[in-house]
Amino acid sequence: MLESVLLSSHLPSSNLPYLFAAFAVSWVVLFGYLFYVNRRQHEMRKEIARLETMLEQSQEHTDGQ
Amino acid sequence: MASSQSLTSPSSRMPSAKTVMAAITGVMMVINLYLIFMVAPTDSVLGHVQRVFYFHVPIAIMSFLAFFVVFAGSVMYLITRSPKWDAVAHAAAEVGVVLVTLALITGIIWARPVWNTWWTWEPRLTTTLILWLIYVAYLMVRSYAPTQSKGAIYAAVMGIVGFVDVPIVYYSVVWWRSIHPSPVVGPFAQADALDGTMALVLLYSFITFVFFFVYMVMERMSLRSMEEALGRIRFTLRRSGR
Repeated sequence: MLESVLLSSHLPSSNLPYLFAAFAVSWVVLFGYLFYVNRRQHEMRKEIARLETMLEQSQEHTDGQ
Repeated sequence: MASSQSLTSPSSRMPSAKTVMAAITGVMMVINLYLIFMVAPTDSVLGHVQRVFYFHVPIAIMSFLAFFVVFAGSVMYLITRSPKWDAVAHAAAEVGVVLVTLALITGIIWARPVWNTWWTWEPRLTTTLILWLIYVAYLMVRSYAPTQSKGAIYAAVMGIVGFVDVPIVYYSVVWWRSIHPSPVVGPFAQADALDGTMALVLLYSFITFVFFFVYMVMERMSLRSMEEALGRIRFTLRRSGR
């Protein structure tokens, strides 16, 4: 049954676009996800640095009083 | 200042390990692509499209590994209530959803030339789609929970219950009549399922994706530690009236 399904499909050289599509999608999804996580980390780092400066200023202000 | 240093220290400790892991994974992936396209023989029946198999199978198995980590992390979180276990489970669940999404997409692309259809409601595909839905729901539960601690508890319960679908996905091709190929790894794999070179390339691809999986989880955990650090700084600032 499986053999007949396989043999009836269009094989094998015409399959190259599917091979390309599968690998292209894999790279886009994997690196897209890593890019998203890295961009979020970059934003977080910037926000943490900004708030730490505010926190330092706040502590200096409290110490000065 | 000492308190703010300690808030950000987890994120500043991570990069060196992450960089080493990224470099190893990158080199392994380049070698993996070389093996897939230059060393692995072309399948006599399926032709070149069979090479998708070297990505599709390891990605699918890595998604099972990810959901096992979610299961183990969830159990440990419910026992210990330590946030580090919740962080592990959360990171593994997100990476697992990315991987199972890819397993579904690459499977669909493979199915078109081989089965002459993009999708069929056969047991392996259907149970995998259910697996995807379960873990998307897991991530949604975390997002929509009223508090982070409640979200962690709800998600832990879901992470344990949801894992039941993983063995069902694996055994689906054994238990029910299925058009999907039989397992090539695990207890139901046939000894002569693969040619020797194909088996070696597949094994190398597995090892590469284990590294890729660990690297992605490390990146996601690093992001989570930053989110927590940010939350603590915001809390400190609010308390100090800024």
